[in-house]
Amino acid sequence: MFFRKKLERRLESEIDYHIERVTQSYVAQGMDAHEARRQALLEFGGATQIREDLRDVHRSRWLADLRQDLAYAARTLRRSPGFLACAVMTLGLGIGANTAIFSLIDALMLRPMPVVHDPARLVQISRMIPEHCEDCRISYPLFEYFRDRLSSVSGAFIVMDIAHEITVDGVDENVNADEVSGASYSALGLAPAAGRLLGPEDDAAPTPVAVISYDYWRRRFGLNPAAIGKSIVYANTALTIVGVEPEGFEGIEPWRTRDFTAPLSMTDRLGGGNGGWKRQWDLNFFEMMARLKPGVSIARANAEIASVFGVWRTDKARELPGPFYRQRFLKERALAMPGLAGLNGLRVDFIKPLGILMGIVALVLLLACANLSGLLLARASSRQREISIRRAIGAGNGRLTRQFLAESLLLAACGAIAGLAIAQWFGRALVTMMANGDQLPLGVSPDWRIFAFTGAISLLACIFAGLAPGLSAGRVSVNPALKETRAGGGHRSLGRLLVVAQLAISMTLLVGAGLFIRTLVKLYSVDTGIRRGGIFVFNLNAKHHFPPERSVEIQTAIVDRLRSLPGVTFATAANMLPLTGGLWTRQVQPEGYTFHAGEDDSAAFNSIAPQYFGVTGTPLLLGRDFNQRDTETASPVAIVSQTFARAFFGGQPPLGRHVTSNKVTYEVVGVAKDAKYEGLRQGVPRTMYIPWVQQGDMALENRSQPMGYTYLARVASGDPMRLSALVAHAIPEIEPAMHMWNPQTLDAYVNRSMLNERMMATLGGFFGLLALIVACLGIFGILAFQVSRRTNEIGVRVALGATRNDIVRLVMREVTMLLAPGCAIGAVCAVWLARFANSFLFGVTSTDPAALALAAGTLAVSTLAAGFLPALRAARIDPMAALRCD
Amino acid sequence: MASDKSDLLQGTLDMLVLKIVALEPVHGYGIAQRIQQISREVLQVQQGSLYPALHRLEKRGWLKADWRESETGREAKFYSLTRLGRKQLDAETANWDRLAGAVELILKTAE
Repeated sequence: MFFRKKLERRLESEIDYHIERVTQSYVAQGMDAHEARRQALLEFGGATQIREDLRDVHRSRWLADLRQDLAYAARTLRRSPGFLACAVMTLGLGIGANTAIFSLIDALMLRPMPVVHDPARLVQISRMIPEHCEDCRISYPLFEYFRDRLSSVSGAFIVMDIAHEITVDGVDENVNADEVSGASYSALGLAPAAGRLLGPEDDAAPTPVAVISYDYWRRRFGLNPAAIGKSIVYANTALTIVGVEPEGFEGIEPWRTRDFTAPLSMTDRLGGGNGGWKRQWDLNFFEMMARLKPGVSIARANAEIASVFGVWRTDKARELPGPFYRQRFLKERALAMPGLAGLNGLRVDFIKPLGILMGIVALVLLLACANLSGLLLARASSRQREISIRRAIGAGNGRLTRQFLAESLLLAACGAIAGLAIAQWFGRALVTMMANGDQLPLGVSPDWRIFAFTGAISLLACIFAGLAPGLSAGRVSVNPALKETRAGGGHRSLGRLLVVAQLAISMTLLVGAGLFIRTLVKLYSVDTGIRRGGIFVFNLNAKHHFPPERSVEIQTAIVDRLRSLPGVTFATAANMLPLTGGLWTRQVQPEGYTFHAGEDDSAAFNSIAPQYFGVTGTPLLLGRDFNQRDTETASPVAIVSQTFARAFFGGQPPLGRHVTSNKVTYEVVGVAKDAKYEGLRQGVPRTMYIPWVQQGDMALENRSQPMGYTYLARVASGDPMRLSALVAHAIPEIEPAMHMWNPQTLDAYVNRSMLNERMMATLGGFFGLLALIVACLGIFGILAFQVSRRTNEIGVRVALGATRNDIVRLVMREVTMLLAPGCAIGAVCAVWLARFANSFLFGVTSTDPAALALAAGTLAVSTLAAGFLPALRAARIDPMAALRCD
Repeated sequence: MASDKSDLLQGTLDMLVLKIVALEPVHGYGIAQRIQQISREVLQVQQGSLYPALHRLEKRGWLKADWRESETGREAKFYSLTRLGRKQLDAETANWDRLAGAVELILKTAE
């Protein structure tokens, strides 16, 4: 603006100068001054006109034309709202879905931790057990071993998340907390916002201190410096707040924000342990991070870790009993993973599903581009006449091309805006889905790089499709097109190609959707050995630990109270819940069974209260349930699963046999039907149930606490969750230091364990359906357009005696010609791509004929239906009208 | 008097302007004067086309302009030739020579 004003002033003064000089020359010739100026002005001519001409020279012609082009494009697009809505929605979905999923991937694993010094050099060091976990926690002894021997990393530290029931200033609250070893803060390069952070000195002896997060400082203390020196009471221990973490630092777990942090040296006092965690190398409680030394690559660090861990493995394997455990242990590996975004837990959980989803939405974007290109092409062909008119009245090739570009630009812009809105919504929906009923503090703000990337791709698609007619417009000679002879357009074959591409992509997505949905159905119909409907489950939280006698008292009181609640038919407790992933294995020695070398001599244990089988609905096939007479002092008894009995007792009657484990010999008093524990996909374990009060083999301090059990109640009918309020009220009456935590139904629990499968089936199905709709629109568009172009050909056919059926068949043949190659290509792509999703499939293979047939069938029926409308229109063509049309 | 004056041929104004500016930096009024003087008052330059032409040439990078004090003591916009402008002038001169030669040849042969 400023520039423009200056330009105006300069123009003015240049013209002034000229007029002044002319005036002077007339005065020199003896003219009167006034008359001379008048003459000079006259001679200069229409000064305003000249000024306008001058401005024209400077004003960018291009910009003015562009504005005109855009306005014209907006007018034309408004005239076909159906086309506009369809194009914008397709583009928006493509852009939005890609942006949302990439933003999540970015938030989970690519975005560096804020505030932390040089996060790119951080690594997480964990164990990897094949087919079990990629980021298994490590033990304290292994941490020390690594810390003292690895030369490629420095600043090694460990973290453990701890339970979170605290009291501050007399107020109870639930928070997230961690215990960390001393090197943690210096390795992360953090400076306190107030007070001090934890350091190596806190490792030496138990120091009851805590560091709070900046956010907690603000939330709980309003940034008041007096917070330092206050106490956080946790597990009957007062931790003095000594400092505040820097602003913006949210902890090192991307899935939760921690509120306070205590030194690792407090583990025993906070967790009621006896230092076992520090000595036992098989207690894997910790997550370890370290910083790569300057110049060391992660590959080099991994090489060193592999060799150091190799020595440790050989060393420790000797301590293991029996070759089976040794062989299993020797398969373990240790490795360093990038830690720039913090710990890898969620990354490991979600990298595969998100990767597959990214692939799916990339296909959706491709589909959107193909669809849009097809639509634009069809549209352009139907505008040949308009193009010819514009050429006839003098529009240049460049100008015409620019006109089409402007339309593409406008479409892409609208699509991008829609995409941004969809990305926001979809991102939030995804996080809710992934949080799975919990809280997941993941930022879902759209990632601008991917937004720009997908936007650019769609823009390219628009330009490509918009330009094709623009360029061929140059080839349209004015005359024939004006006469509207409906000669086949040059991009008819391109249009067909695009439809085949759309059908192929849709087919691929539909097959994928079919596979994921069938997987989910198969998982839900697996025989689990339990009836999971109608069961209410909850855990307990307590402010401190209880002595063993009190524990048993509380536990029994809770189960008794549960049984007295209205509508409850059975109530029990167990330390392992069916179908939720946990497995507690111990070595067993069944009476009269000899293990051969290398055979697995472990069984899954479950410590249960009476009525367990009543609650889960697992039938007892032989013998009896535990009862009130199976006390701590009574002789130990056990119930074994069918598989256990078959494996160890062969055909012999199992009742009355004995099984020894951890120096206790149990008498088998019952056999239960098999039930699944680890998950729906896993097999049934050889299970041995023992009464929860018979813990004679445990040292007193190791005996279980009421919090170690999950409590279950079966209701006769209705929603089990109605027990929640009753139980929440009852627990503090039994023990004031305790309250109910994590109430839910077993069904919900199991559903949550299938999060990934449900996510893939839901989103796979959603995108499959979307693809179907888009493909139908595509085929409808191209056929409708072709029918309208062939109006007079069809007219001639009808005039020559073709029946309506012939005409319908003619058009439908066209559909089939597109459908067949589309389906075939799509099927091949789907089978090839499905290999990447194999680990998500259950009960189906990537070449599942049912999924393929279902996808092909759905696609065929939908596209034929989409093609039928234009076919009907073709059949209704009146030959006379069609021929007169030209 | 007016009938003796000829309007400039379309397209030749640019060439004349370049030629005059090539001699020394000069302002718009000066250019109009020079064209008239050198052509012995035959060629009449319309100010209406001179100034847009100057600005166009400047925009194309053939001329550059700066404001300095003129012979009357007042600030004026002086145009001078750029290297690109010099090239353009050579090209247009050569072109003109060829064209003029051809026209002359035709006129002579036709006699």
